[in-house]
Amino acid sequence: MLVLLLALALGVTLGLLTNFSVPAAALTYLGVSVLAAIDACLGGVKAALEHTFDDKVFVSGFLTNTLMAAFIVFVGDRIGVRELYLAAVVAFGLRVFDNLGTVRRLLFSRWGWE
Amino acid sequence: MTNAFSRPALVAVVGFLGFLVAVSFNTTQRFADALPERANDLVDVVHDLEEQRTELQDRLAELRAEMDTLEKDAADDSGVRESYSRELETAREAAGMLGVTGPGVEVVLGDGSEVAAGTDPNDYVIHDTDIAAVVNALFAGGAEAVDINGERVVATTPVRCAGTTILVNSTRLGSPYTIRAIGDPTALEDAVREDPVASLLFTTYRSQFGLQAEVRAGQDMTVEAYRGSFRPQYVSSDQGGDR
Repeated sequence: MLVLLLALALGVTLGLLTNFSVPAAALTYLGVSVLAAIDACLGGVKAALEHTFDDKVFVSGFLTNTLMAAFIVFVGDRIGVRELYLAAVVAFGLRVFDNLGTVRRLLFSRWGWE
Repeated sequence: MTNAFSRPALVAVVGFLGFLVAVSFNTTQRFADALPERANDLVDVVHDLEEQRTELQDRLAELRAEMDTLEKDAADDSGVRESYSRELETAREAAGMLGVTGPGVEVVLGDGSEVAAGTDPNDYVIHDTDIAAVVNALFAGGAEAVDINGERVVATTPVRCAGTTILVNSTRLGSPYTIRAIGDPTALEDAVREDPVASLLFTTYRSQFGLQAEVRAGQDMTVEAYRGSFRPQYVSSDQGGDR
């Protein structure tokens, strides 16, 4: 758990130090990829707790989900339905809370708080 | 417990998530910093108006010069008119319509260069009240003519704050401010250094906030003429109204 928090802190520090930012047009893509990353991380933690974590599944899942989300945003922009990105946001959002619930319960049983 | 989570792929994605969050933060921060377009439009309007003002001031100066020659021509006619003309000249000088030279002092005020962490940045800049205090002290010390960065201080001159600049007459002035006054140099210097408000600039504020504040006496000060207009709407003379 500690190593994950350290990784998160390292990522934030790196981002702030490089002061990297994206143009206005890419803001929606950025938002969706943040959600995809949160979803992937929680899914990964859940799998790790269930001892079903598999590198291949995890990495490919993260990449395809992000790409699909980006594709939906792109298509939405092209066909003039900018709100199409909400589909990705809702899907990721639901999964995030679903996974969070499972992780919470798994952590309780792991720490013997049941 | 740590073992279960130390999958390189998981750690990498979590790190990437942190990076993305930081990038989002940077991006929003940048947009918040950008000036709204409306403000830019207003800046253009101000610049246009200032340009117009300068043109009108030049035109005013031309017309005044023309008036001068006409008056002189007219005054050549007779002695009565000559004395009238001399009276007019004196009145003009007193009103600040003429550029003047003579002994006096020069006060230079400038913003401090570095703001120490945790202190109020407002303490490190020259404010309208500082300029007003110095100008008041100079007049109290018997100054006969005063200008600020070439803007003559006349009876109707306001000195007030306009954003990061100071508005004198209708001109925005920026630091450093050079205030020139004509009068008895010693009396003027004493007046500025002993004024309860103005003196702080040369003592506490200068040493504490690094403000630039100097007084220099000289024998050949030049004070500019007033370049603005007088357009009285409400006042009328109490001497029969021959204006």
